Amino acid sequence: MADTLDTVAAQPALPLGPRPQIVMKNIFAPGIDQIETYRKHGGYQALEKALRQFQPDELLEEVKKSGLRGRGGAGFATGMKWSFLPPQSPKPRYLCVNCDESEPGTFKDRMLMELNPHQLVEGAIITSYATKVHHAFIYVRGELALAGRQVERAIREAYEAGFIGKNILGSGFDLEMTISRGAGAYICGEESALLESLEGKRGYPRLKPPFPAVVGLYGGPTVINNCETVATVPAIVTLGADTYGAYGTEKSKGTRIFCLSGHVQRPGNYELPLGTPMRTLIEDYGGGMRNGKKLKAIIPGGSSTFILGPDKLDTPLDFESVAAAGSMLGSGGVIVLDEDTCIVGAVLRMTEFYRDESCGKCTPCREGTFWLVQLLERLEHGDGKASDIDLLNDICDNISGKSFCPLGDAATSSITSSIKLFRDEYLHHVYAHGCLVGPHAKPAPATARETNQSRQSTPVGAR
Amino acid sequence: MAEQEELVNLTIDGQPVSVPKGSVIWAAAQKLGIEVPIYCYHPKMEPLGACRMCFVAVEKMPKLATACTTVVSEGMVVRTDTPAVKKARQGTLEFLLINHPLDCPICDKGGECDLQDFTLRHGPSASRFDLSKRHFQKPIPVSENILLDRERCIACQRCMRFCQTVAMEDGLVMEERGFRTEIGVNPDAPFDSNFSGNVVEMCPVGALTAKSYRFVTRPWELQKTGSVCGNCAVGCNVRVDVRVDKVLRQYSRTNDSIDDGWLCDRGRWDLDAINSLERLRTPLIRKGGKNSELQPASWDEALTLIATRLREITERDGGRAVGGIGSTHTTNEEAYLFQKLFRAGLGSNNVDHRHGRFPATERNGLPWVWSDSIAGLEKASHIVILGADPYHRQPIVDLRIRKAIRGGAQVYVVTPEPNRLDRLATGVIRYQAGQTGTIARALLNVVTAENLTRGDFAEKRSASLDARRTTVAQDTPERAAEIAGVDAAALRELAREIAGAKGAVILYDEMATLEPTGANLAADLLDLALLTDNFGRPGAGVGPLLEDNNSLGARDMGLLPDTLPGYRPVSDAAARAALGGVWNATLPSEPGKSYDEMLSGGVKALYVMGANPASDATPQQLAALNALELLVVQDMFLTETAKRATVVLPAVAYTEKDGTFTNTERCVQVVRRAMQPLPGAKADWEILRGVARALGLHWAYLSPAEILKEIGRATPIYAGVTRRALGDSGARWPLVPGERAADGRPALQSSPYLTWQMVEQGVARGIAAGELVAGRGRGE
Repeated sequence: MADTLDTVAAQPALPLGPRPQIVMKNIFAPGIDQIETYRKHGGYQALEKALRQFQPDELLEEVKKSGLRGRGGAGFATGMKWSFLPPQSPKPRYLCVNCDESEPGTFKDRMLMELNPHQLVEGAIITSYATKVHHAFIYVRGELALAGRQVERAIREAYEAGFIGKNILGSGFDLEMTISRGAGAYICGEESALLESLEGKRGYPRLKPPFPAVVGLYGGPTVINNCETVATVPAIVTLGADTYGAYGTEKSKGTRIFCLSGHVQRPGNYELPLGTPMRTLIEDYGGGMRNGKKLKAIIPGGSSTFILGPDKLDTPLDFESVAAAGSMLGSGGVIVLDEDTCIVGAVLRMTEFYRDESCGKCTPCREGTFWLVQLLERLEHGDGKASDIDLLNDICDNISGKSFCPLGDAATSSITSSIKLFRDEYLHHVYAHGCLVGPHAKPAPATARETNQSRQSTPVGAR
Repeated sequence: MAEQEELVNLTIDGQPVSVPKGSVIWAAAQKLGIEVPIYCYHPKMEPLGACRMCFVAVEKMPKLATACTTVVSEGMVVRTDTPAVKKARQGTLEFLLINHPLDCPICDKGGECDLQDFTLRHGPSASRFDLSKRHFQKPIPVSENILLDRERCIACQRCMRFCQTVAMEDGLVMEERGFRTEIGVNPDAPFDSNFSGNVVEMCPVGALTAKSYRFVTRPWELQKTGSVCGNCAVGCNVRVDVRVDKVLRQYSRTNDSIDDGWLCDRGRWDLDAINSLERLRTPLIRKGGKNSELQPASWDEALTLIATRLREITERDGGRAVGGIGSTHTTNEEAYLFQKLFRAGLGSNNVDHRHGRFPATERNGLPWVWSDSIAGLEKASHIVILGADPYHRQPIVDLRIRKAIRGGAQVYVVTPEPNRLDRLATGVIRYQAGQTGTIARALLNVVTAENLTRGDFAEKRSASLDARRTTVAQDTPERAAEIAGVDAAALRELAREIAGAKGAVILYDEMATLEPTGANLAADLLDLALLTDNFGRPGAGVGPLLEDNNSLGARDMGLLPDTLPGYRPVSDAAARAALGGVWNATLPSEPGKSYDEMLSGGVKALYVMGANPASDATPQQLAALNALELLVVQDMFLTETAKRATVVLPAVAYTEKDGTFTNTERCVQVVRRAMQPLPGAKADWEILRGVARALGLHWAYLSPAEILKEIGRATPIYAGVTRRALGDSGARWPLVPGERAADGRPALQSSPYLTWQMVEQGVARGIAAGELVAGRGRGE
């Protein structure tokens, strides 16, 4: 197996043995963003293989067999998603590649687009072929200017080389591809808001059903896949579903890119087989905690996922295991917090993000995040009340499951999970009028300290 | 007639209910009378699901469902009263209120505010929000008539969605995002829609308020009466909101077949005339002859004077010497009494109204009315606007055309001037003003010359087709291009489109028939529709868009010199005998003088009801008016004509009387008195009754309802009409008495569209429609 898989030469040497490089294969090769270099490294051979050796339906089966699941956050089976497109439709069908990567803690798509845009383009062409789409859109987050330019150029080069356009490689398959730049809204990463944005409208999520597979872009059946998902497709074609699917666990197959960030020695993107323990990622690849600090909390899948405590460090990074640990694998953005991090401050910062990025369509998310931020602000600044903590929980309950799209739920994850794990720290803010740790730390008053030690949820002073 | 709708059975809070397939849970609950609170949802717009207010629990669904977006399914079990539902609703209300000012005591919406009401019924009694609310500058204008109070906005998007999806125009938009979301106007696109008032009515809170209504009343002080708008020929159903002696606004009283739940700004707010301080409050007479001043007089004095002078003149010069100019604003009952007064009381056919005579009527005796209906527009594949401007003149028809466009209809705007529908039209054709008739003939030329005729009528009436071919043989689009500066190719293409259409509706403005080229416009377009088989079914037809609220009713009621009520020629002895039988009178057989003839010295005494001919009279006509022996004017104001009158009688507005109006698509609707008549003034029917009595006629009518009953006997196309039978939503003529309802309520069989056979037989028999409709069988 090692014969077919390369180790990355250009990446800084790690004190570890070879690891599979599938999506990130060749990504650090100089000039790989140029079509000639990309082709020298075997680029567009997967496309040729797909067009010559597979019928679209066979290709779809192959991807189903590989076990590839969406890399955007929800982890839905990719082949299954493709098969939801109705076989007959009066309107044209479309592919939209979701490159609106804006989940805090996630930065893999950006790297893929900036360093190796042709792999994404090739994946998009193969995906279009498999789903019988003749117009593909790549929606790139507006802030990622370089990524946008790189993808744009890659598309242009692919057109010139005849990989996009009429009768690609003599196969009779036609495809147009368009890049569209977002205007800077987190919500546009939600697939239906992305469609609205692509259509030139305000980024509001759409009512489902109908799902995009049935009524999507311009009313046509639409398949929407994450950037990394699409960029994985060429490798599946090259390696075959079985080889790819041999990585990972039974239900979470293959590899994925984990974006390691926070208080670790070597933050960065690491492609690892699914099921790799979190400890391996953080300690072996990430080099462990910075400045010898202790681990306080892990956010395993981007800021929308529930915070886990250090006791979950050995959780394997696959969809099922992380769910069992009480969180979600999400977008693969692993954020590591050390012992000096004020949890209320961190949660406040994340909640501010959700308040600012709420699209404002539905009441709970629009008004609820506004309220949550105000409460967290006063807690963080030492002006909160003990009852605010339960109020936070109840507001989260009124948002979660009641908002229009999953963004409302996402805004509550860090709050409810942090209160569960760190209620004492919240209470400390109330009674000490300041943080427990960090630059604004204040010592706890005597009574509250006793209360904290007795681990009661309602302190005496609150009555 | 309608296809059997498939019903779905479900239970809500244990109560079974059946609703049409595809309904949302909210509609089913509505049917049961179970309140499910809503903000963003509006029954006339697509579900949005944004406000998260209408949560219900549905068995087997893991999360709470929103009742406005969840479609019912067979056997569904819905609960609106579980603790989870209550908590979710309370949560949403608490969220909405954290940034909503508690300024209800000074808010115009207070008392009819959904946020207030739902908080009372579904909300928490206290808020846990102890921080500072958002604050904005208090009202900022978003249009000439509407103010926005951003603090009060709950971002339900109803207004924005109305502008974008219903009116399909620029207007209100959402600005910013998240908690900074606010309603705003695009700086490059002012909110100057004719439909803007709907957003005020739709706003569930006091965020959008009408300038004219701010701080003038509280909702509970209003007396609300269901009636019909009197501002144009559409006849939208309204609720007239009156405070003591002022109409403060008209709100929509949804009638799906006419207004679809919307009103235009004119209908909603243009109420100045009713509330004017300039209105006449007492009869005026000239006691000292022609050159004396008009002086207040009692009703008795005035009526006696009129009767004496009218008798004098008719005894001296006969009925031919007196004439009456009626109104397109008064009710059917009043128009009917007016012509009856002249025909039966004074032995004169000299009755007419402005725009009363139409050349088409002369040619074939047809009432050239809209053969289809407003609602039918939605079924049309093509809509042709010829020389009309519905946006300004019949706004709610324009709005329905927009709905048809959303449904896939292609609209062709053929007008001399730019039109608000241009932007949405498939084709836009311009021509020189005054040449509408030329355009119509060119269309007919293409259809006949290129053998594009089709359908039953063209086949069975080939003689008519041959005649047409000859009469329009010279009127090619190319010739029209020379005369009217029109794009010949586009016109030719349009004719072919009409001929090939699944269903085309051709609408023209009644004023276009008065143009020099318009003499045969109505007849030509009728033939165009008949010969291309665009007739006789919903979504296919032809007709004029009329000017005033009762333009059609005035004609239906025989406010015409040559036509008895129901379009029977006065020369028709049988018709005269029939009507004379009802009236117990002998009717004159000679056609009377027209509007212009009466104004040009054709009569010695002129009685003007609800019209103002002096406002646009020629100098000769003014001289003739001044030379009249007797000029009686019955009006709300001292108009230019009234200033010349011998006797002026104060009349009341449509909000102060009962009656019926007939709208531009033949729908007869009940108008209800919404307020006390202005002291000193009387309804036109009362005045006419007074004049008749003073003349010695035995008119015993106690109410407009009695007059309407007589109309039902005297007018074949209105056969069987009564206020009860017309009900809340009216009926389209020709009418026939239908089978009584189970509760004994009389019913009417309405005619949603006219067929060519109905029109043709109508010609032969003077629209003995009663027989006609009965002949085509019940239940069709």
